[in-house]
Amino acid sequence: MTNIQRLEAGSDNDETVLRVTGLKKHFGGVKALDGVDFSLRKGEVHALVGENGAGKSTLIRVLTGVHTFKDGAITLGGASFAPQSPQQAKARGVQVVHQELNLLSHLSVAENISIEALPRNRFGLYDRAETRRRARLALDAIGLSDVDVDAVVSTLGIAHRQLIEIARALQSDSAILILDEPTATLTDREKLRLFDIVRAMAARGVTVVFVTHHLDEVFAICQRVTVFRNGKTIITQDIPQTSPAEVVRHMVGREVGQLATKRPAIPANVPIALSLKSFRVAGSSSADGVSLDLRYGEILGIAGLVGSGRTELLRGIFAIDPVVSGTLQRDGVDISLKNPAQAIAAGIGFVTEDRKDEGLILSMPIAANTTLANMNLVTRLGLLRHRGEASIATEYGAKLQLKFGKISDAVSSLSGGNQQKVVLAKWLATAPRVLMLDEPTRGVDVGAKAEIYAILRDLADQGMAILVVSSELPELMTLCDRILVMAQNAIQGCVMPADYAEENILKLAYRQS
Amino acid sequence: MSILKSLAAATLSGLLLTTAAFAEDKPVVGLVMKSLANEFFQNMMVGAEAHAARRGDYELRAVGMQNETDFESQINAVENFITEGVDVIVIAPADSRAMVGPIKKAIEAGITVVNFDVALDAAAKTEAGLELAFVGPDNRGGAKLAGDALGKALGQGGKVVIIEGNPSADNANERRLGFEDSIAEYGLELVDSRTAHWETEEANSVFSTMLTANPDIQGVMAANDSMAIGVVRALEAAGRTDILVVGFDNVPAVGPMIEDGRLLATVDQFGTDMAANAIDLGLGVVAGGPPLEGWVKTPVSLVTK
Amino acid sequence: MDTTANTRQGLKELINRAGIGLALLGLVVFFSVFTEHFLTANNITNILTQITINLILAVGMTFVILIGGIDLSVGSIMAFAAVIAGKAMTMPGLGPTEAILLAVMAGLLAGMLCGLLNGFLSAYWSIPSFIITLGMLNIARGAALQVTDAQTVYAFPKEFSEFGSSLIFGVPVVFILALLLVAVAWFILNHTILGRMIYGIGNNEEAVRLAGHSVFRYKMIAFTICGLTAGIAAIVYMARLNIASPIAGIGFELNAIAAVIIGGTSLNGGRGSVIGTLMGALIIGVLANGLILLGLSDFMRQMITGVVLIAAVLLDQYRARYGRST
Repeated sequence: MTNIQRLEAGSDNDETVLRVTGLKKHFGGVKALDGVDFSLRKGEVHALVGENGAGKSTLIRVLTGVHTFKDGAITLGGASFAPQSPQQAKARGVQVVHQELNLLSHLSVAENISIEALPRNRFGLYDRAETRRRARLALDAIGLSDVDVDAVVSTLGIAHRQLIEIARALQSDSAILILDEPTATLTDREKLRLFDIVRAMAARGVTVVFVTHHLDEVFAICQRVTVFRNGKTIITQDIPQTSPAEVVRHMVGREVGQLATKRPAIPANVPIALSLKSFRVAGSSSADGVSLDLRYGEILGIAGLVGSGRTELLRGIFAIDPVVSGTLQRDGVDISLKNPAQAIAAGIGFVTEDRKDEGLILSMPIAANTTLANMNLVTRLGLLRHRGEASIATEYGAKLQLKFGKISDAVSSLSGGNQQKVVLAKWLATAPRVLMLDEPTRGVDVGAKAEIYAILRDLADQGMAILVVSSELPELMTLCDRILVMAQNAIQGCVMPADYAEENILKLAYRQS
Repeated sequence: MSILKSLAAATLSGLLLTTAAFAEDKPVVGLVMKSLANEFFQNMMVGAEAHAARRGDYELRAVGMQNETDFESQINAVENFITEGVDVIVIAPADSRAMVGPIKKAIEAGITVVNFDVALDAAAKTEAGLELAFVGPDNRGGAKLAGDALGKALGQGGKVVIIEGNPSADNANERRLGFEDSIAEYGLELVDSRTAHWETEEANSVFSTMLTANPDIQGVMAANDSMAIGVVRALEAAGRTDILVVGFDNVPAVGPMIEDGRLLATVDQFGTDMAANAIDLGLGVVAGGPPLEGWVKTPVSLVTK
Repeated sequence: MDTTANTRQGLKELINRAGIGLALLGLVVFFSVFTEHFLTANNITNILTQITINLILAVGMTFVILIGGIDLSVGSIMAFAAVIAGKAMTMPGLGPTEAILLAVMAGLLAGMLCGLLNGFLSAYWSIPSFIITLGMLNIARGAALQVTDAQTVYAFPKEFSEFGSSLIFGVPVVFILALLLVAVAWFILNHTILGRMIYGIGNNEEAVRLAGHSVFRYKMIAFTICGLTAGIAAIVYMARLNIASPIAGIGFELNAIAAVIIGGTSLNGGRGSVIGTLMGALIIGVLANGLILLGLSDFMRQMITGVVLIAAVLLDQYRARYGRST
């Protein structure tokens, strides 16, 4: 905290390191950037926010030399700046850590950190010792002393990989470091660690651009915020002079209604849709496994740190990964599922964590993705009825307020929130009685998030049993009738709405109760 | 790929090693063939095996390759035979230059080497200081027999095309030269000359296109019968019965074509006996006969209806 | 309303595909201007006959490449299916009709079995199909040689070879057969669950699996289809040349892959069409034919063929990139 105060005082000096004026970037007819103004001061942490498609990514790509531009001007350190390649951008001290990780997963941590310029000894040969030394230095610099520089990247968790990428970006002398959604995959503890690192960097005079969907993070760590909407700069504000509600208003261009309100508890006489008893998946570290009851009309949340076994539990229920012991009951009857097809037949749907890798076929049309899990809807004797498919997909699209051009457009043309709605549509098309969702709003902008919450609440009101895994505690507290907290592949406790507070959940997650 | 092939060849030679019983007094003959996927060499090997059984006074070890140009496996095979200390190596080189070195090594190890089917390159032999006789058919002379048959039938000024074998193969070159000898002697006109890589399907495609470009072709000289078959089918498809075709090799499949006149002639180089003859010559030297010299020609003859 | 969407989509695709069509048209115009015989009925019949086998193999290859696989064994499978069919056809004591029927069945079955084996081995153990089919390339070739003792099989009924060279309005019957295959493949890929799954697996296998479909089953089907087309190609080969050679089809897999890739299908799977494959096969055929008519030497011909293959793929890449940013 002391760092921030010192910086805020320092920022009064107004030393502008980067200034973007009137920047335009068009792709064919699409105006990705339509006259953007943006400036950075030395040593500040500057948030860049906006809904998906607002132009944040395009600006980053221009600044890092991936895209070139024609209209507008950029100055960096007083001189004109128009990088033609990422190498040129790096040479001028502009670095980015991407949302999608760029590590070589079969190489060691040390090799990854030095990959851009592997050190040579005086014989011109690869210098392994120097590589390891530099990696150790880079990791220690951001407090990652617990990571072995010889570990192969593929053996590390996703959070560690992200931190390693930050370590890599930091070891060269960056003037400006852009962090693109750096917290998307991090748990709260890891997030705090990242914030400390960011503050330390800023104190050293590095300017950090923080691109995020999470306003709490913006207000926790940034000094200024710039809001983009539809390729235009809406406003740049000092954090003390604004509020989250105001920023959201600038982002969406309208007031966002309050999220769903609390409801009475589900009565005990409502039938149980899904029941687990001592359910253990392969690799579970818990001897007792997981036991839980999910009732019709209930939204049950599962909280827990990354690695607590939340995702593995859902994958086990859906018969993607093998189950070692325990029982699973649907409507009070023991069943044993061998593959996802049988789980679907048992009335279970599963919105997976990673929609790009597991949920969607990005280059295929919205219609084809909508019917993917229930082809029976649109086929007769194995033949597709394209017209029927389009109308079914359009129907679900309308139900979920999907914003799309044509139903035959590729899913990749949609924003993150709308892509997530297509995944939801796909599972709703199977008419599930039990719907499981893993991180249902990851990478989804604020407006679409609220819409998805409303849709889920509505489905529960119609009697669907819903199981939600999420790393965002506010999300679970908004959405759920009950929250179970997992750690080490076991349920550590249950939090009821009356006790909803991040502290109560985290205590259980860290097993401090 | 070549590792796979060498492995296969090594396994094959190993197999033959274990199955063949060692008899102290009998001389051992190592036979190195080209591709056994080629029925010409397959038949040759069968002929050699029959010959070994018939003579009964020597031990035969035969090694074949997987394709025509696989000289690496041949080098391995020769080196293995040197290690085993065979008395005679009878070899049909897959490459007329690459095989000079290994053969020289074999001779220096005191092994009698007989080079048959394809002659080693003369310049490469001189350079390596190697003197070695060649036992084999006169491909050029054989091709001229077929070419002459076509020349006689067409007479002065007849328009012909040549379908060549693999451009890098010696026998393909020899046969082309033989055809060209006939063309010169009979005053034929060579309209076009292209390779179809010994292949039936390719010959069919290439020739039908040549026929389109030159509808007035009167005769076709194919460097082997597989390609001649492709040419004959192309003529049938085009409904042309006025064009004469000659081939080379006398494979069984052209028997009916010679019979009904679709093929004017082919050349038999008695491939079945070729390896056996070379083995006889090598054993003669081992038994104390005079060394072979120059080119020991094996018979070729024209096959017509 | 979705019909207009479909039409517009179709139009867009047509324009997209016009790139490859334009390349083909360019070649045709070039050869028509610079050679005397290119644009003659006879020559066109020739070209169609000459591309038939490659086209048939490439249709099956399209399925395998669309799921993100590759099949290096089709040339060998074709030879194996041909000698099996040849042996069946020359069995003593059969009338011509029975012999032909038996042979066709045996050939197709042999091809399908090889394809099924390819699919089973690579899908069940998740081994890259490159390796499995490289193995099959050797197995099928070896089997063909073993069955025949390396001897060419010949003496087929006259009716059979007549089928191989018969024409309908100047169009070879075997080419019509190949076109029919293209149509069937197009229908399967665009109007059946199987087709949808093949595109889906090529794009995102995991999403298809998690949607409750058996990826294993659809992969097997794709490889079996590829084996089946190798069997069909074998029958056409026999009908056209009137022999069945165990060394037939060496290197044919590469031509088939080239046709598919030139036709705009992505080697990574998931994107492409069988109509593109038809275009690709036509380009290869027109080039092979036209360069001979042009009187170029064999070596020049080989070089130019290589250059054109690379140019076609570059053109497609350029088109894909340009198409994305508009």
